[in-house]
Formats: sequence, structure tokens, C-alpha cells
Amino acid sequence: MNVLKVPGRTIAVFVLPCLLLYVCIVFVPILVSFYTGLLSWDGIADAKFVGFKNFVNMFYNDPVFWPSVRRTLLYAAASIIEIPFCLLMAILLNRYVRRGNTLVSIYFTPVILSVVIIGQLWKTIYNPTSMGGMLNGVLVSLGLESWTHNWLTEPNIAMFCLYFVSLWQYFGYHLLIQFTGIQNLPSEIYEAAKIDGADGFKADRYITLPLIVPILKISVVLAFIGSLQAFDLIVVMTGGGPAHATDVISTHMYNSSFLSMKYGYGSAIATFLVLVCLTFTLVINLIFSRIEKKVG
Amino acid sequence: MVQKPLKRTLSMILAGALTLSLAACGGGAKTDSGTDNTTASSGGDKPSDKKVTITFQNIQPDPSTPSYKMTHAIVEEYQKANPNVKIELDTLNTDQQKMKLKTQAASKEVPDITIVNPAAQMKPFVDAKLLAPLNDVIDKNGLKDTYQPGLLDYYSFDGNVYALPDGNNIEVVYYNKELFKQAGIDKVPTTFDEMLADVKALKAKGITPIAIGEKDSWTGSFLFMNILLRTNGGPGFLKDVVDGKKKFDDPAFKLAVDRFQDLVQAGAFPDGATSIDANAGGNIFKSGKAAMWVIGTWETGAIDASSVAGKVGAFQFPTVDGKGDLNEFMLAPGSAFAVSANSEHLQETKDFLNYFALNLPKKQFELKNAVGLGQKVDGDLKAAGYSELAIEVASLFNNIKGGDLAFDNTMNPATAQVHLSSIQNLFVQKADSAQVAQEHQAAFEANK
Repeated sequence: MNVLKVPGRTIAVFVLPCLLLYVCIVFVPILVSFYTGLLSWDGIADAKFVGFKNFVNMFYNDPVFWPSVRRTLLYAAASIIEIPFCLLMAILLNRYVRRGNTLVSIYFTPVILSVVIIGQLWKTIYNPTSMGGMLNGVLVSLGLESWTHNWLTEPNIAMFCLYFVSLWQYFGYHLLIQFTGIQNLPSEIYEAAKIDGADGFKADRYITLPLIVPILKISVVLAFIGSLQAFDLIVVMTGGGPAHATDVISTHMYNSSFLSMKYGYGSAIATFLVLVCLTFTLVINLIFSRIEKKVG
Repeated sequence: MVQKPLKRTLSMILAGALTLSLAACGGGAKTDSGTDNTTASSGGDKPSDKKVTITFQNIQPDPSTPSYKMTHAIVEEYQKANPNVKIELDTLNTDQQKMKLKTQAASKEVPDITIVNPAAQMKPFVDAKLLAPLNDVIDKNGLKDTYQPGLLDYYSFDGNVYALPDGNNIEVVYYNKELFKQAGIDKVPTTFDEMLADVKALKAKGITPIAIGEKDSWTGSFLFMNILLRTNGGPGFLKDVVDGKKKFDDPAFKLAVDRFQDLVQAGAFPDGATSIDANAGGNIFKSGKAAMWVIGTWETGAIDASSVAGKVGAFQFPTVDGKGDLNEFMLAPGSAFAVSANSEHLQETKDFLNYFALNLPKKQFELKNAVGLGQKVDGDLKAAGYSELAIEVASLFNNIKGGDLAFDNTMNPATAQVHLSSIQNLFVQKADSAQVAQEHQAAFEANK
């Protein structure tokens, strides 16, 4: 800052509007929702202050809460496991495909589509055989009748079908981020490495990987936070059903506040979600700063 | 030396522009939402002649439906007769309207006229004193006497009427005569065992026996409640639970769960029912792919407009294990028009609602939408060219002996949600009825 010699006042003038906006539409509502979490309130009549009763109920008495937390974390884990595959794909595209951009754009298409469209599309793919579901149709034509399922309505597999759709949709997104990241690496390093005898996967291991760490971090944080907030796809495809089998934290929060009309309780769940998001963002940042220090 | 001040002025200008544009945004929003209020207050002082804008929130977004045409026709007529009154329609679909009203209610900004649902569902709004009593509205021009006896009770609290229903429906079983014939069924079932046998016969022919869209879980509950109405030997089970006279582990409730599971086990419902939404579920029947549809009579018009028109009949839900009466129905008193207690021009709004409610049955009759009206209407259905199905359904109305309201109209929302997902669960896995009963009881006690 001193190098630029910008007076503090100017900085304030530039930062203030954004800061104010941020405080008003992000920070204050979070505090308000924490406070609402301490109320017993149906959203219409007068609220009653009940202290931490909602939180106690949430942790100890709600049979839906912990399973939905588990599903949310699995969701996040699955989307993080996807990232190495995106990276591998990005490396391969960079090396073997001359005009990788076109392919990357094609992989990116699902990201542009509205989630509602994606949901409807995959719903028809997952449909039971009697309703002409494509996936089951393919299985039957391969002679694998015993593998057919009612994908979205069998409680044990419905959630995995949802994970898959989400992975499919965001594959291109992370691929694009990493592909661009790799393209921006200076080619001199590779040329120098080649002279020293580091080529192919050796170059990937010792050059690409360390240099791409900041990009990977962006991908991981985005994937993690995105899947913690997963909501629209689930609402479109299963609505959290059958019987809560596909409920995640955010759908449970929505159902509690708007359908069961327990705003206070819903806000308590929201507070929990915010805390989880913050904690994991911090943890991920910490891990990556360690890694960056190590390889940098 | 020249550069530095220039830079600074530039930065100041840019910063200024940024804050200004922000301010402009904020200001714009404010004036926007303010217009309603200013026009409103200017008309509030004197009841007549002054310009008045009434906001009418409604749930008729589809221009092809009779109810949409009815709403618009009456509003236009009224505006013509009362040039000082402007009625602003705030049109939403059902779910959006529910959500918007809850948000508006939280900030006490209920529109002049809005839509609420009967009994337990509108109680929070009444308790919060958001709705105006409409006793004077129904006393004017004999409006009260047009409603079916007892109907307004579902919208009354402590002797005051708070909303005027747009209809009154019952749950019946629609069936496709052609598909019944294909499966060799020559008469409609009157007992649950006959119904199960029919389900199996239809299933054997590869026909989906009963259409349902259970992703919207009220559909399964609506059917289940009809079984409960029978096994309980009459209406009032949930009311007894609320009053503490019965518990959910009552044999009637457990039997209803078991019989409902018999239907599921017999393959009565389409595969993957819990991922089909209510509209799509209805379309299975309306496109002639399913033989039965257990639903409210509000669908009569839609069935007549579909590809199975003319092939469809209706019958009462059968008795279960010899219990219950065919002429007791699941009752579905319609969504209803309520007036905001904080309306800036209460009198004008009430006058309009009185006119609207008086003309609603006439307009609906003209538009061939008179089945399931909550009000008496002069005129002969047959002479007016109504379909055979409509006349058949209308005749079922004549024999109503009584019945129950849907679960979510009787119980508080939190208990209702547990119930809905508990019933949805029966579609995908077999459950012990005692367990189901216990789940209900626990939810009821936790949310009392």
C-alpha cells in the first residue's frame, strides 16, 4: 500500500460502499438468523424467546438432522474426490489435444443449463422401466434386468443418484478452472525441464502439481461450499423424499421453516450450516497454506 | 505535479459515481414499493368517490382455466360499475402465494384481499390478528344464505367468519370405464377387498391401477385419510386426538396403515410414485394410462377437458372391513378470500368482496365450472350442457352425510409434515403399523 502512496481516506472511500453493502446484506442477516434461532416462532404470530432449546432439539431430538448432515458431508466429499479426476483430464487435454478449448467448452455446457432443466432431464433418465426411463432401458437391452432399479425412489440408492448428477454437472466447471490454470503456466519451465530429462508424468508431478496448487485450492473451496449448499437439484428431483431419504441440511432447513412453519428451528439449522461452512473454509485454507509453504 | 491532483480528482469522481449509483438503486426501490401506499392512503379518508386501489392476491395464473376467466370477468365488471376503484391483481400459483403471504405476514403487510386455507391452516393468521372479521360482508345482500350449511364453520373462529371459500369439494374415486372393461371388471368396488381384487386384475393386464403423484406428499395422505375415515367408523378421529380422547395407537389408525400398505403391496401405484409430482401423477390418469384416480372433485373439469373425457365415471371410496359409510367423504372446503385487518380502505375492500362472492357462483356456472361450488346456484346442469361425469359427481354431493378434513387442515403444520413423510415412506418400504402410529403420536406431542 505504501508503495502506491494512496492516502487512507481514498482507500476508505473505495472500500466503504462495498463494505457497507456486505455488512448489510450478508453479515447482519447472519446475526439476525442466529437470533431467530433462539426463538420459538411460526413466522406469523409473536415470537417467544426459548434460549438454546432449538439447538438442543436439533442435536439430540431430531431424527432427520444427523442423517442429513451425514449426506451433506458425503456430498462434499464426493465433489472433492472429483477434483483430481478433473485435474488429470485437464493435463491430458493440454498434452494430447491441440485445440482443447472446444472440448472444454463442451464439457462446460451442463454448468450453463439451469438446475431445473438438469433435474428434469435426469429424472427422465432415472425413471422406472414402466415409465420408459432411459438408464433402465439401456440396462434391459444389455440383458441386465436384475440391475434395474427405481433409482430415485429406493431410499438406499436415491442419494447416490443425486450425487452423480451433481458430479456430472460440475465436472466441466472444475475442468475449465484447472485447464485454464495449466495453460497459464509458463512454457519455459517445461522446456527447461525437458532438457534436464523431466518429461510427461514426471513433469506433471514436479512442475504442474506444485504450480497449480492455488488453482486447486479455488476448486476445492468452491466444490465444498457449493455442495454444502446443495438445494435446488434435490428439490427438483426428489424434494428430499422418499421420507427424508435424500434430505440434506439445506432442504431440512427449508422444510422446517416453511413447511413445518418452525422459523426459529429453521434458523437454528441455518446457523449451524453457516458455522460448518466457515469452519471448513478455514480448515481448507489452512491445509492449503501448509501445502503451499511446503512446495513453494 | 499535474498528474497527482488529476489522479485524485479522478478517484474521487469514480468513488462518487459508485456511491451515487448505489443511492440511486436504493431510492428506486423505495419509491417503487411506496406507490401502493401513497395511492392507498389518499383514498382512505372517505369511503366513496375517492380513487382507491385494492390489491387482490389470487391463485389463478392459468388463462385457460374457468376460474381465471371468472376472476377477471368479475373484477372488470366491478371496475366498470365503480370507476373510482382500481383492483390490482397480484397473481401467483398456489405454492408461491402461500410462501409470499407468509413472508408478507411476517412483516404485517398482508394485501387487501388474499387467499387462505381452511381451519388449522388459517388459524395462525387469525391468531396474529392479521385478518378482518367478515360478518358484515356476509350479512349484506343475503350473501350468507348462498353458502352451503356448515361450510363457513371451517373459516370461523370465536363466532367470526374470517374468509369466504371459493368452493367445496369432496374426495371421490374417478375410474376409466374402458380400462375397467379391459380387465374384466363389470362393477365398481364397494368394499376395500373388492378394490384390492380389482387392483390385482388391472395389474395382471399391465394397467397401472391407481394414478398418484406422491412427490407432493399430500396426495398419498389424502387417500390414506379416506381409509382412516372408514376404519374409524366415521369422521372425527383427528379431532379426538387433538381433544385427547384418542391416541394414534388406536386400532382404527393402525388398521388404516395396514390396509393402505395392502394397496401398496398389491402394486396399486405407479413405479417410482414418490418421484412423480402431483400434476404428472394426475396426467397418468388423464392420458388413459391408469384406471383409477382418488382425488378431489375439483379435477372434474380438467378430466372433461382431457383425452379420457367421456370414458370416466366416479364412485365413493369403498368401505374398509365392513366399517364406514359410503356417503361420508373426505371434505375439501376450498381456499378462501380473506381481507387484511390493516387494509387502508377496509370498507371498499369489503364492498368489492361482497360483490365478488355474490357473482362467483353465477359466473362459474356459465363457465361450466359449477361442480364443487360452495354456494347454491340456480340452474340445471343438464340443461346447461354439463358432461355426464359432472352430473354424476354433482349427484354424489347430494348424499353427503359428513366427513373429515385433510390432515394438514386439522393438525398443526409441524405434525402434518411428520405425517406426510411417514405416509410417503409407506410407498417405498414396508413399515410396522405400530411404529407408524408411535411416530405420529411422538410428533403430535412434541408440537402440541
